[in-house]
Amino acid sequence: MRTYSKITPEGVRDILFEECRAHREVQRRLTQAFSLRGYQEVITPGLEYYDVFSIPGAAIPQREMYKTTDNRGRLVVFRPDSTLPIARMATSRLQSHKKPLRLFYNQNVYRNRPDLSGRNDESAQMGIELIGAPGLRADLEAISVAAQALSDCAPGFRMEVGHAGFFQALADKLPLSPDKKEELRVAIELKNYAALEGLLEPLGHDPAAQAMRRLPRLFGGEEALEEARQWCGSGEAGETLGYLRALYGALQNLGLGDRLMVDLGLVQRNDYYTGVVFSAYVPRHGSAVLMGGRYDALCGKFGEPMPAVGFAVDVDACARLLGGYIGGRPAPRVLVYGEPGYEIQAENSVSNLTRQGVPCELSLWDGWEESLAYAQELGISKLLRVGETVTELQLTEEEGNP
Amino acid sequence: MKPLRIALTKGRLEKHTASLLEQAGYGCGSLRDKGRRLILPVGGGEIEAVLAKAADVITYVEHGVCDLGVVGKDTIAEMGHHFFEILDLGFGRCAFALAAPRGADFYAGYGVKTIATKYPSIARRFFESKHMDVRVIKIEGSVELAPLLGLSDGIVDIVETGATLRENGLEVVERIMEVSARLIVNPASMKLRKAEIDQLTKRLSNVTAA
Repeated sequence: MRTYSKITPEGVRDILFEECRAHREVQRRLTQAFSLRGYQEVITPGLEYYDVFSIPGAAIPQREMYKTTDNRGRLVVFRPDSTLPIARMATSRLQSHKKPLRLFYNQNVYRNRPDLSGRNDESAQMGIELIGAPGLRADLEAISVAAQALSDCAPGFRMEVGHAGFFQALADKLPLSPDKKEELRVAIELKNYAALEGLLEPLGHDPAAQAMRRLPRLFGGEEALEEARQWCGSGEAGETLGYLRALYGALQNLGLGDRLMVDLGLVQRNDYYTGVVFSAYVPRHGSAVLMGGRYDALCGKFGEPMPAVGFAVDVDACARLLGGYIGGRPAPRVLVYGEPGYEIQAENSVSNLTRQGVPCELSLWDGWEESLAYAQELGISKLLRVGETVTELQLTEEEGNP
Repeated sequence: MKPLRIALTKGRLEKHTASLLEQAGYGCGSLRDKGRRLILPVGGGEIEAVLAKAADVITYVEHGVCDLGVVGKDTIAEMGHHFFEILDLGFGRCAFALAAPRGADFYAGYGVKTIATKYPSIARRFFESKHMDVRVIKIEGSVELAPLLGLSDGIVDIVETGATLRENGLEVVERIMEVSARLIVNPASMKLRKAEIDQLTKRLSNVTAA
């Protein structure tokens, strides 16, 4: 019989030592970035009712949720996302709380991924939700916090900004069935120009169709916005573009330079996002390290309409990036050996040192020789021998401060 | 600047891809005479190519270790989508089709049909869209054999000329999807290296349009 007692399930893993340190460091930096901006941390349960995530427009595929039942047969899932539970909380327990709510989270999400794809079923995410505030000021705040968070832990990132309303405004003008519109959205999301052309061809020179054709190509800097202005005219699409220009103009002063881009073809999760959408990329990581946007319709699905904007950061990806910068654990500086009969005195020496902030280890060997060999192997710089008297043995030069 | 890395599908599409790149002005000497090297310089060193099996092309591009890839729509349809599919390169044309023994009315009756295929996801999706329950059996080699041996009622497979089907007493019941080679791009690369990718795409699309 095959046993699974010594391995972890596919898609999850142990995180050790320097990787763990990098993880915690990212979490510390993001916590600080979010807290300084007035966001308060919340923890939502690891198990939730399936119903929270199956509301229309939640955009979490049923097959990706780890499901089980509680002791009354009700369907529960391992938290596949943090925004929906926070929306649940904001529309129930925090319903009468002063708005806007500034909340942040630091917790794992679980998704059942296809076999052998090398993806993570358990991923660490941190993010903010700014609930109860509409408009430009709130959008600017969310994107600025995102940029601040990334500059602290994802050097070399690029951020792109788009608007879900753009596609919606154009699609509303096209004489197509909802199914066809969804195909159109997918073609734009994948920048599949061939499929897009196939779908739009029967519509000929309809101006909305012409605009749709260009949508996936419209990404880059100022010039993409400029090009869009030439054909998008007035009406809803024009207003949306005006809004995006204002936002982009304001963000220019954030000091991101050419790391800020626009992409009018950002139509991911379009049934979920209702306004500005943004994501960030870093070199050598194939997918976005940060994704977010405005989702004004979500709270309404829980019975309490409220505007909201937020984003999630991929902590695993940032930890991988940051790992290279912060390095591994320094060896303890002192090893304390107590001669037989002086164990408690050795313990007291360790306490004295740690109280002064000196990282040290207690030798668990019975003999002096083994203690010395151990210290040398680990590169510990000083050995303390506690007996009748206390003697110090300096093994290597100490690095940095004493 | 690091060269753009492109994964090319080995075999059927390989020659076409090389000549397309050459027409677009990227020298492909290293592709034609590759020896034992696995990563090959293309053009003036602005591109590096790796040759891989079709499914691996998608894996490399999805994970971002290659920026771009050339792969058939058949593999894309089977393996799903976490990348941009920006160009139909026009070669490697064929189609997915449902085929059954000649003269048999495949859709007749209410019994659950059995389908043999190398492409189980495509077969499943096709019958889901028809609201039909079927049993799908994955076959690795010559799928045409399955109905002859009585294992299945029909097959879902790639059809180029239809000659293999005819020789084995099968015929196309329905075409499912047209297939050709596509240029795919990793989303992060598309955003981080837009100018270089735009240039490559432009040169390739000029050649395919001609």
